Amino acid sequence: MNLLEPTRRAFALLAAGDPRLVEAIWLSFWTSLVAIAIIAPPAIALGFLLAKRRFPGQRAIVVLVQALLSFPTVVIGLVIYLLLSRRGPLGFMELLFTPTAIILGYTMIAFPILVVFTISAVQGADARIYETARCLGAGRVRASATTLREVRFGVLAAVVNGFGRVISEVGAAIMVGGNIEGLTRNIPTAIALETSKGDFAQGIALGLVLMTVALGVNIALALLQGRGGLR
Amino acid sequence: MSAPIALATGLRKRFGARLLLAIDRLEVEEGRTYILTGPNGSGKTTLLRILAGLEHADAGEVRLRGAAVYVHQQPYLFHTSLRHNLEYGLKCRRVPAGERARRVEDAIAWAGLRGQLGTPPAAFSGGEKQRAALARARALRPELMLLDEPTSNLDKEGRAQTLALLAQLRDERSTVIVACHDEELIALPGTTRLRLDNARISAEAS
Repeated sequence: MNLLEPTRRAFALLAAGDPRLVEAIWLSFWTSLVAIAIIAPPAIALGFLLAKRRFPGQRAIVVLVQALLSFPTVVIGLVIYLLLSRRGPLGFMELLFTPTAIILGYTMIAFPILVVFTISAVQGADARIYETARCLGAGRVRASATTLREVRFGVLAAVVNGFGRVISEVGAAIMVGGNIEGLTRNIPTAIALETSKGDFAQGIALGLVLMTVALGVNIALALLQGRGGLR
Repeated sequence: MSAPIALATGLRKRFGARLLLAIDRLEVEEGRTYILTGPNGSGKTTLLRILAGLEHADAGEVRLRGAAVYVHQQPYLFHTSLRHNLEYGLKCRRVPAGERARRVEDAIAWAGLRGQLGTPPAAFSGGEKQRAALARARALRPELMLLDEPTSNLDKEGRAQTLALLAQLRDERSTVIVACHDEELIALPGTTRLRLDNARISAEAS
């Protein structure tokens, strides 16, 4: 197969701002950002609690969250589909095949990533941070917030990884979004569809966008972490 | 005679089978500087941490009249700015903004760190970190300061500057307990020496 011609066409589509491309890119971005914004606060809080506190069942919760990391996204999609389908318990909300359903799927996919990365960042935190804050008069909540701020680059890595994972996710997005053009077709589902139709130029163009996003986000994170290391 | 700033009675602390602390009574009087000595592993740090409330004793009671601030052997400065570090505890204790600003300026001058205002605390030398941590603790005007080997791991200059600040704390009649091995600090006049050995504590005026 000659890849040069579809690649050339892919760049031409990008340069021309092809409306179908722009729609898919925009949907991917806003649904991913909204999902991360919704799920990051509770996931980070839970990650902090699991890293810092000892309570009955804590170990079991950590194991469960770690197991969720390797859960197939298509199964997550299936669960949400069953919940949102017309005959499902949440069918009355009529959310299936809407961007909201995609956001719901993304939150469930990002949740374990954010929790596990936060646990790792907080467990790696210097014990003196919390002790110093407490000694200086901070209450438990303020001392915890101070600890999170001190490991902010680790927490930011959690958020970036969560974002990177959901923006490139295809299984759940196809199942609950339905891949409807102009409504729920995002970058990865569009790539899958265009490739199956043999329109490699569209697929390559969207793939380039995804790879650029992944590279850009990780470069930004590395720069931030570099600054953090110097402080 | 006024009530002691801190009173520890019947303190017992074990690490496994080893009895680390067996202190029947320890009174910390207001306005005194105590130099706490003892062999490595004798429990100096543990005693300071128990007094600060960072660790619990297995038995016994600690009564504090006011607040105690513990400063780690290698102090932690938040990765923000020197000014934020100095303000942190004052904000926690809801010191009004005007008073807070005055105390921060005083702390900067006291620790001789005006030249370091633009430098991230992570880039401070060991001596500068120690001075900043002492100034941060002192700015709170705590009833008791608990300093864990403040002159260890410092170069000659850093050590001399830290010793000068400790002498100032003594002159200001702050109530301070300093755990140390430093001969020069142990010999600091006008202090009370506490010796921790075989889990017991004994006092001797210098």
